[in-house]
Amino acid sequence: MENPRDINSILTKGKIIEQVNLSNNYHKIKIKAPQIPQEAKPGQFVMLSKWKIKELFLKRPFSFYNIEPNLGTFDILYKNIGKGTQILAESKIGDLVELIGPLGNGFNIPENTRKVAVVARGIGVAPLIPLMLESKKRGIEIYSFLSAQTENLLLCSNKIESISRETFYTTDDGTKGAKGKVTGFLEKILKEIVVDVVYTCGSKRLAKHIRNLQKKYNFLAFVSLEEHMACGIGTCKGCVRKTKYGYKRVCKEGPVFPVEEVIFND
Amino acid sequence: MTKEVSLEIDLGHLHLKNPIMPASGTFDVRCTLLNENELNRLGAVVVKSIAFKEREGNSEPRTCETDCGLLNAVGVPSKGVEYFIKEELPLLKKANNIIIVSLLGNSVEDFCNLAEYLNKIEEISALEINLSCPNLNNGIPFGVNEDKLYELIFNIKKNTSKPIIAKLSPNVSDIKKMALSVQSAGAEIVTIANTFMGMAIDIDKQLPRLGNNIGGLSGPAIRPIVVRMIWEIAQVIDIPIIGVGGVCCAEDAIEMFLVGASAVQVGSANFSNPYMMLEIITGIKRYLKEQKHNSIQDIIGLIKD
Ligand SMILES: Cc1cc2nc3c(=O)[nH]c(=O)nc-3n(C[C@H](O)[C@H](O)[C@H](O)COP(=O)(O)OP(=O)(O)OC[C@H]3O[C@@H](n4cnc5c(N)ncnc54)[C@H](O)[C@@H]3O)c2cc1C
Ligand SMILES: Cc1cc2nc3c(=O)[nH]c(=O)nc-3n(C[C@H](O)[C@H](O)[C@H](O)COP(=O)(O)O)c2cc1C
Ligand code: FES
Repeated sequence: MENPRDINSILTKGKIIEQVNLSNNYHKIKIKAPQIPQEAKPGQFVMLSKWKIKELFLKRPFSFYNIEPNLGTFDILYKNIGKGTQILAESKIGDLVELIGPLGNGFNIPENTRKVAVVARGIGVAPLIPLMLESKKRGIEIYSFLSAQTENLLLCSNKIESISRETFYTTDDGTKGAKGKVTGFLEKILKEIVVDVVYTCGSKRLAKHIRNLQKKYNFLAFVSLEEHMACGIGTCKGCVRKTKYGYKRVCKEGPVFPVEEVIFND
Repeated sequence: MTKEVSLEIDLGHLHLKNPIMPASGTFDVRCTLLNENELNRLGAVVVKSIAFKEREGNSEPRTCETDCGLLNAVGVPSKGVEYFIKEELPLLKKANNIIIVSLLGNSVEDFCNLAEYLNKIEEISALEINLSCPNLNNGIPFGVNEDKLYELIFNIKKNTSKPIIAKLSPNVSDIKKMALSVQSAGAEIVTIANTFMGMAIDIDKQLPRLGNNIGGLSGPAIRPIVVRMIWEIAQVIDIPIIGVGGVCCAEDAIEMFLVGASAVQVGSANFSNPYMMLEIITGIKRYLKEQKHNSIQDIIGLIKD
């Protein structure tokens, strides 16, 4: 029977099987929920709650940081910034979470892609890691450009270095890599080699820079956007961003958009 | 032998298999997680308010969670009535035999045109009139002026033979006056309530959290106020009442039945739990059994003045 619903979207329970504090307010959590990693693609997300509806009203969106279909698990990398992430940070092994997902459209890796650049700031790196792993599997060469306020907020740098052909760092305080703009490094590389696709996430400023470079060097570019989400499945029309084609829902038409479609008006 | 309890309910001429349905704007047949079978277990389906012509809605951010609630200033984006008929209605027909279409207009004429346009569509069971959307910047909403309210409902009635559900705005000092006004204008059913006007500020950025500055508050935070309003209007009107506001479990819905609601809509709680409405239906049955009632009708309006 044909249904008007997304057959891959489901409400399910998951179990926390690992919880690691990476640094400061950054945590990694591993969740066992077999159906979800079966279907999850890089760039997609889940709506998650570890609270009763009357404790905290809405679920929270988190990207997949690691997807392991064989183990029936996935990881989330998250920053503790408020009520929901605080509850998550206090959770223990064996605790249950409620999940809706996988949701949204993931990253697209066009056929015949040979070289990609990945540009991320802070926690924005989370959804890009599974993309990098998938690209690596397909034999694509990866150039990574990471930035953060300070050195210990450059997350997953070992992992990224091991997958990337080259990794460039910038920090605001100069504790690692250069001080200044990460997109400056990107431009240097773009001058030397042909990059087919640039992926980014997490910062409007970065996406805007990439848009400008795109006009000059002509590559495909995708950005994963964040917006406050109530439902995560397209119902509430709350998570929109302005695009060339009018308002689009980040949860449904996104979260990944071609950079040139998004209107950054600030 | 235990007899199956009955959840059947009449809302004027509408006969529903049970009194639970989604609230307008919190259900979309194009992206619901419920399958056809599950959708058919609902008392009715209610669509997001539609406008005659396409409108894009407010600028982002459109939502913001607050303590025990959700502020939204979505601003009722709509693809217009023709799109609705072509793209949504066919799916709705498969979803449920009771289809309630919520209407949004900027003027009496606007509403009347919509009502007339939809009158010929047999599958639509009733029209719910969104009298209160607080997010539109075009003057005072109909729902806060009893004369405007009367005029609007009276004129819509002239343009349609479908039952009219007046969805009241709670942002008034005396909700009884508004309920009486729509009743005398010919509304068959009253829905109470739409969202409460609210505001939230990001104190770090020193800016409003919503793109539209102000928005409508929904969720558990508003439920006690809505329960009071249902109780108040149940004492003064004779037409059935649909209660809506912050319902998150069967007990919340039962509270509304007890003060006089004949049906209950579930709104933003659907976002946290897409299966909420089905769980509530099961929970109400359990309650009725425990309380030794045969029918939901037994508990409606038990609590009087
Ligand atoms: C598609 C998507 C993927 C995401 N992936 C990750 C991830 O992998 N790791 C991670 O740390 N964070 C991620 N975020 C951001 C994350 O959802 C928020 O940090 C989280 O909701 C904060 O919840 P809280 O209760 O702790 O904070 P609070 O400030 O108490 O939250 C209040 C409200 O604001 C919303 N909110 C707050 N900050 C954000 C934000 N930046 N984006 C969207 N909504 C927000 C919350 O969902 C909630 O409704 C993602 C967001 C989106 C939209
Ligand atoms: C995101 C969102 C969109 C809404 N859109 C509409 C709408 O289009 N028309 C309408 O009459 N009410 C709309 N409402 C109001 C709900 O139908 C309901 O009256 C209100 O949310 C209170 O119920 P709740 O607390 O159960 O959510 C909307 C509410 C929310 C949260
Ligand atoms: S979060 Fe509700 S439409 Fe995207």
